[in-house]
Amino acid sequence: MIVAALLVPALVGLLLMIGRRLVRGRTAAWLGAGAMTVSLVLFADVWEGRADVSGEVDVSWIEPLGARLHLGVTVVSWPFLLMTALIGVLCCLWLLADDTSPALVGLVLVISAASMGVFSSLDLLLFFVFFELALIPMWFVIAWWGSSTSSSGAGAAHQSRFKNGARYSATRFLMFTVGGSALLLVGIVVIGLDGGTLQVLDAGSASLAAAVLVCLGFAVKTPIVPFHTWLPDAHSAAPTAGSVLLAAVFLKLGTYGLILFSTVLDRFEDVAPYLAIAGAIGIVWSALACYVQDDLKRLVAYSSIGHMGFVVLAISTQSSAGLAAAVFGSVAHGLVTGLLFFAAGSLKERFGTASMTRIGRGLYGRSPWLAVTFVLAAVASLGLPGLAGFWGELLSLRAAYEVGDVLTKPVAWTGLGLALVGIALTTAYFVRAIRLLAQGEPVPHDGDRDLGRREAVVMGALVVAIVVLGLVPALVLDLYEPIRFSVAR
Amino acid sequence: MRSVLRSHWLYVALTAVLALVAAIWAVPHLSEPGWFAYAPDPTGFTPPLPTLSPDLFLFPASAQIVLLAVGVGLLVQIYSTAYLGHHQRYRSYAMVIVLFLVAMIAVVGTTNLWVLLVGWEVMGLCSYLLIGHEWETGEARAGAAKAFLVTRIADLGLVLAILVIGETYGTYDLLGAQPLDGEAKNATAIGLLVLVAVVGKSAQFPLHSWLPDAMPGPTPITALIHAATMVAAGVYLAARMLPFYADSTVALTAMAVIAGITMLMGALFALVQTDLKRALAWSTVSQLALMFAAVAASDPEAGLDHLVAHGVFKALLFLGCGCLMHAVGTSALSAMGGMRRPMPVTFWTMTIGFAALAGIVPTAGFFTKDSVLHALESATEGDGALAGGTAWALFVVALITSLVTAAYATRLWLKTLLGPAPGGLDAHEAPLAMTGPLVVLAVATFAVSIGQPFHHGIGVVSTVIAAAGIGLVLLMWRRGSSLDWAPAPLAAELGLDRPFSRWVPRLTGDVASAVVDLDRDAVDVYPRGGAAAAALGTRGLALVQSRNVQRYATVLAAGVVVLVVVGVVVS
Repeated sequence: MIVAALLVPALVGLLLMIGRRLVRGRTAAWLGAGAMTVSLVLFADVWEGRADVSGEVDVSWIEPLGARLHLGVTVVSWPFLLMTALIGVLCCLWLLADDTSPALVGLVLVISAASMGVFSSLDLLLFFVFFELALIPMWFVIAWWGSSTSSSGAGAAHQSRFKNGARYSATRFLMFTVGGSALLLVGIVVIGLDGGTLQVLDAGSASLAAAVLVCLGFAVKTPIVPFHTWLPDAHSAAPTAGSVLLAAVFLKLGTYGLILFSTVLDRFEDVAPYLAIAGAIGIVWSALACYVQDDLKRLVAYSSIGHMGFVVLAISTQSSAGLAAAVFGSVAHGLVTGLLFFAAGSLKERFGTASMTRIGRGLYGRSPWLAVTFVLAAVASLGLPGLAGFWGELLSLRAAYEVGDVLTKPVAWTGLGLALVGIALTTAYFVRAIRLLAQGEPVPHDGDRDLGRREAVVMGALVVAIVVLGLVPALVLDLYEPIRFSVAR
Repeated sequence: MRSVLRSHWLYVALTAVLALVAAIWAVPHLSEPGWFAYAPDPTGFTPPLPTLSPDLFLFPASAQIVLLAVGVGLLVQIYSTAYLGHHQRYRSYAMVIVLFLVAMIAVVGTTNLWVLLVGWEVMGLCSYLLIGHEWETGEARAGAAKAFLVTRIADLGLVLAILVIGETYGTYDLLGAQPLDGEAKNATAIGLLVLVAVVGKSAQFPLHSWLPDAMPGPTPITALIHAATMVAAGVYLAARMLPFYADSTVALTAMAVIAGITMLMGALFALVQTDLKRALAWSTVSQLALMFAAVAASDPEAGLDHLVAHGVFKALLFLGCGCLMHAVGTSALSAMGGMRRPMPVTFWTMTIGFAALAGIVPTAGFFTKDSVLHALESATEGDGALAGGTAWALFVVALITSLVTAAYATRLWLKTLLGPAPGGLDAHEAPLAMTGPLVVLAVATFAVSIGQPFHHGIGVVSTVIAAAGIGLVLLMWRRGSSLDWAPAPLAAELGLDRPFSRWVPRLTGDVASAVVDLDRDAVDVYPRGGAAAAALGTRGLALVQSRNVQRYATVLAAGVVVLVVVGVVVS
């Protein structure tokens, strides 16, 4: 079933790319949405309970290396898979327009399929293959369908050397992540030599080098400060569907990888304090950067770094609360930031820019439903209790407060303190964004147009998901509840 | 027009249903004995992961607060049909009020700390949205942003307090976690964290300045959220959590000091305001501090009684203020006066409200303030966690505050309702939908007195003090004083707002700009340096492959020479 769930979108995606002149954009988007829905249903259906590896497939592959085609859904990967498939469906629905290029839909499908492959791999080499497979198509998405970023970008001076800012951002993105992947590959080789197996469930490595290499590799992908400078450029240059995939799915490849490899690496505990502090600094650093952004897409991109900081802090504690925090935080970030990027994308489609000063004030009056959706996404992203964004952050705080087995109290509590400062700053910059965009004396603009049906459906689905996960966090958290206490609730 | 009218009453009906359900649920709990139920459980487990099971539970004091919230909420909904019914965004306004009431019930009616937290923060969000209801105006935007930021940052204290409670008692359930007498653990930490949260929510010193700045919000909202319920929820939380930190002298002393500073400061600021709404806002700050004083003196019941009474009479005053604003178009004191003839209902009901604020027999304000003062006086014996000296100081400050309170209540009464009417004023009584709630609240101001305890000694003292305050102001009024006194530091509210309005935003902005610059020019050095190094390397390698045969030959020859020399030297 897993094989089918991966192959259906991958094949449909390839066919759309090959036959891009034969189908219309609208048809292509419907086909893509259908294929992703098939994946979503299959992955939802494959679940056999948290104690087992569900839908396991194990076929020999490259015998001399000990690499096998080993796929399966675990308690950690299941939420990631469902979230990815859902985001894939919504991205395809978003592309339901006459001017959509079928090739873009095809690339979205291939990227989604490859990412789901990462989440369902139980072999380290297979993991790496899918990891790279997701990367290359993204270059085309950003470079071909992206739009130049604003001149405040990190490489403004260098950008002039490239005709196209989007292509510059795409190449930067590719260079960073390929660099990270190279470290990761060496790390995987070391693990394979050390433990004699590449199977996730059996592998183990006592090598410090492996731990450092793997963590560096994922630090680029997640990203962790100071390896984050590719992200604002790439996320803001990409087209809407690309930004959503980058934020909701791609960053999760990094966090999922960290969760997965932390079980394999015995020396992870030596790296954990550095991860914890870097993650916590990232929360504050990115929140400060958000506070003065004018470009809404760059703001959302920077906010992602902060949210990933919470996840990294949680993973570095290696506790059960930390695991729940990391998974919930990743999934919630996918939904919330996906919604934020959809909202920012609709603004950019209307006004041709994501600059908040140029979009102008008073969206509450100019396009009420779009403004309300944006405000809800912002409020969810700043972690209001009762919406999905909160529980991941809360559990990260709890994991840091409990310290866990691998961190020391000074490190963990420093992380806790930085995280609290970060939450306060996050509130500040989102309140500022709401004040600049939603509130204020409305100045009518030619682009003023409220949500269309397509936008309403896509964003509505995410709003429902965010509210439901916020009010019933047990949907995900029950997977990680060690024992139910009936007496002491 | 008809459909508009119908849609207004739709929201009133929705609120009424909510109020009815809450009342059916809460009323039977009013007469239950005891006010905390103890059900300690063996502890020492890791707490479970959070859930949001409702876990509804009421004790008498919380049942009273639920009834207060839904009662004032319903009256405010009725009032708003006339006050804001014409507004183009009435629908969202009325829906947010309903959401707010649900959140308030969640805070008061649950034992699950997570549900409490969700309600607590959703209330803050509703407050933010409603203060910013007139988001076209800069004042409303700024007030809303400030209120949300200050309360939410303080709320982090509650989040941490809940985490500490979970780790200490192994559960996130208020009943499951109740410590037995003398067995409270981490009391000081929990107490101080709770204190941070309630200081923000209830606008106590030093986080007090958001509440007066929240006054650009619609007046009915001020009555409901920023006087009767949400800000008072801070007192409820402090009282509800008291068993966790009742042993901690540090936490209780900190609370007593904050309460003492805030009550006198708020009352003095209220005395010099030139705007009725802002004066009433400072009065709310001061009265909330009085309730915290009772909690700090380990008599939460007195604090919660005063919460209910204050909720009733302050809602009455704010709704009356709304009627005056409806009539004269502004809340400035200078525009008011001479309201007895044109607005008799507003005049008499507000007079009752001011009497309750000043603490005159037989209004509810008298009896509940009496209980608070009695609690403070009992604490001066020093057998609780609060030291006797601290309690004495607090008691004296509370008595001075009573004097100032009576004085500013009289001043506001004289300046708004009596006094000479400003020229050209054509005041008229508000419609029935607005005066009706006033009458109901005025009746309630007396009704809440029923069954309140009465303490003879304190009662006489506080009556004398109130009479002195009133008499002093009346005397000055008779002698022709305009009552517009404002010493410069008081008028500037002691400059206490400066850190929040200037320093912190400016500092954050500067640091943030620096971060963005560093991100571009410092963090991004290694990828750019890497690119430059690669470029340099390729250029070097390109030199070697110059396709210039002469150069190849030269290099070859030079290499041979070098090798020969090395060979000779080495051998």
